[in-house]
Amino acid sequence: MISRRTSLMLIAPALVLMAVLFLTPLGYSLIWAFREEEAGRWGIGNFTKAWSFYSADILFSLVIVTLSAALIGALSIAISGYLTLGRSRRAVALLRWLYRWPLFIPFVVAAQVMRTFLAKNGMMNNALVELGLLTPLQTASYLDWRGIVITFAWKQTPFVTLLLAGAMASLDRSMIESAQNLGARRLRILFGIVVPQVAQTLMVGLILSYVMMMSVLSVPMMINAQQPTMLTVDMAWRINAYGDYGVANALGFIAYLMTAAVAWGYLRKELRDRKGHA
Amino acid sequence: MSVRIAKLFAPVAIALVTTGAAQAETLYVATGGSQNMVDYVTDYLGPMFEEQNPGWTVNTVGTGPGDAGSQAILEKLDAQKGRDSWDTDVIVTNQLKTAEMVESGLLQQYRDQIGTGDLVTSASARMALGTDVDGYVMPMFSSQTAIAYNPDLVEDVPASLDDIKAWAAAHPGGFGYNGIKNGMSGVAFTTAWIYAYGGDAQDMIDGPYEETAKEGWDQAFADLKAFNQNVTFTPGNAGTLDMLNRGEIAMGPVWVDMFYTWQADGRLNPNLKLLLPEPGMPGQPYYYAIPAKAAHAEAAMKFIELATSPEVQAEGIVKKFNWYPGIDAQHIESALDEETWNKLFTDVSPANLAANAKPFPLGAYFSDMLEQYETNVTN
Repeated sequence: MISRRTSLMLIAPALVLMAVLFLTPLGYSLIWAFREEEAGRWGIGNFTKAWSFYSADILFSLVIVTLSAALIGALSIAISGYLTLGRSRRAVALLRWLYRWPLFIPFVVAAQVMRTFLAKNGMMNNALVELGLLTPLQTASYLDWRGIVITFAWKQTPFVTLLLAGAMASLDRSMIESAQNLGARRLRILFGIVVPQVAQTLMVGLILSYVMMMSVLSVPMMINAQQPTMLTVDMAWRINAYGDYGVANALGFIAYLMTAAVAWGYLRKELRDRKGHA
Repeated sequence: MSVRIAKLFAPVAIALVTTGAAQAETLYVATGGSQNMVDYVTDYLGPMFEEQNPGWTVNTVGTGPGDAGSQAILEKLDAQKGRDSWDTDVIVTNQLKTAEMVESGLLQQYRDQIGTGDLVTSASARMALGTDVDGYVMPMFSSQTAIAYNPDLVEDVPASLDDIKAWAAAHPGGFGYNGIKNGMSGVAFTTAWIYAYGGDAQDMIDGPYEETAKEGWDQAFADLKAFNQNVTFTPGNAGTLDMLNRGEIAMGPVWVDMFYTWQADGRLNPNLKLLLPEPGMPGQPYYYAIPAKAAHAEAAMKFIELATSPEVQAEGIVKKFNWYPGIDAQHIESALDEETWNKLFTDVSPANLAANAKPFPLGAYFSDMLEQYETNVTN
């Protein structure tokens, strides 16, 4: 049996690393969001400036990330649902092999791939034109907010699907089978029996994706040249062009609040689960 | 006693160290600007310097276009302020940030110490957006923005910003630019817009700065916001050229040098043309400067001397990279054939250039303009 003291010593290096490399910079940027460098005082000046400059972008980020999360949820339910309930063995095997690929591709590469794929004269439109479905004049570029949503969904769906398919596989199959015996259709089994049982896993996957998408800089930067854009781009701009860490920190603070709201939901659920098991 | 001895030997020691090091020394060059500027130093100027100065290696770092690229250099120097020797020897930065660096004492005066210092008499070698930079800088080149257009898609070629406004309204999505966050060609277009619709352009260029002036821009920015509804946003200076080339937009602001270089490289539709609309679009020089405590200041001067020599300005700046020269034109005309010289003025004539090429506004106006763009146009 390891003593209390030894166990504390064992986790000390990890704790120190956390404190030095993560908590300190986090606390530092949170505090310095309230520092008005030019006026030499503390206050909420950075926040009013951030709001008057970037309120549209704050809302835009919220809408994009929420929309992407919804799309990811729908797609991952569809994919993991088929993996669990699909009848064609070959199709299930193929899907299982295919869907994980985007997991291994970094966001920046995904963004670059989408740039060539979704452009006005990109691969997708060229293919549609070749197939005779569109004329060259009808093509439109998807390199705007839609591009961001598509990239996020493409990149994060496998992650949520992985969690979800795992949860579905560990379900007791007898309920599914008895529903099948009673003549329920697969869609009804999926939404009536399977999804409610894995809803918590789905939520966790979506919350983690939400936080991850909030922090991505490369995708909005490469895909969406327009205004409004996402908060990360504005933060980079304030720092790179002006050396204005105050407003950048304020924007970061706002992003923290947005993710904190979701993370709070996650933690609350985790705690409730632990209590339930204990 | 020992201090005395140390003092006595210090120069000897330094001399020894420097001669020893001369065997293999590295000159560190940091350059802002688009990729073509990095290419210029790594592929052209650096190898030439290395050839002429055996034992030296030129190490080049590109920091990116726009204010952000030059800001990165500023921050790097600022971070080393307390040290005796800085690790960057030559910097290439834009006007706004160079002016800020001169003001905060990060650069050293060197122009009268190099042989080519008196080959430049232009105003931009003395003043940068209202700040006195005399002696601290040598212009590397002058560059100009203009509107590039595709004659196959644009029938009535616009001659002024009013015409462009009307054309863009009639052809939604046909005009493209990169806003203000993705490179200077978009910033230049915004500047041109304010010059045209925001009051007296000359006051913004000559000063003095008046804080109230920006209040007169509201209408201009409201119009720009309406104009933006009909344009396509491009991902950057190169992005505008790319989209022009692919026919996705028919018109957009570009840097003249990038335009000609891309065309010469076969990366751009050879039919595309340039125009410099009334009342004018801005251009800017990039500057060579030496940090106040550069470790190799002497070599840095040698490097800049080479870079601003008439031969290099003719061959490298004008002929290879299609910029307008940094030093006075009369010094390099003799080193160039007529044809190359005229190529610079294919679409934009010298008279047109004289009438419609403008500098960027004073630094304070420039910042006001960018801030108002963010509050009034994009938010």
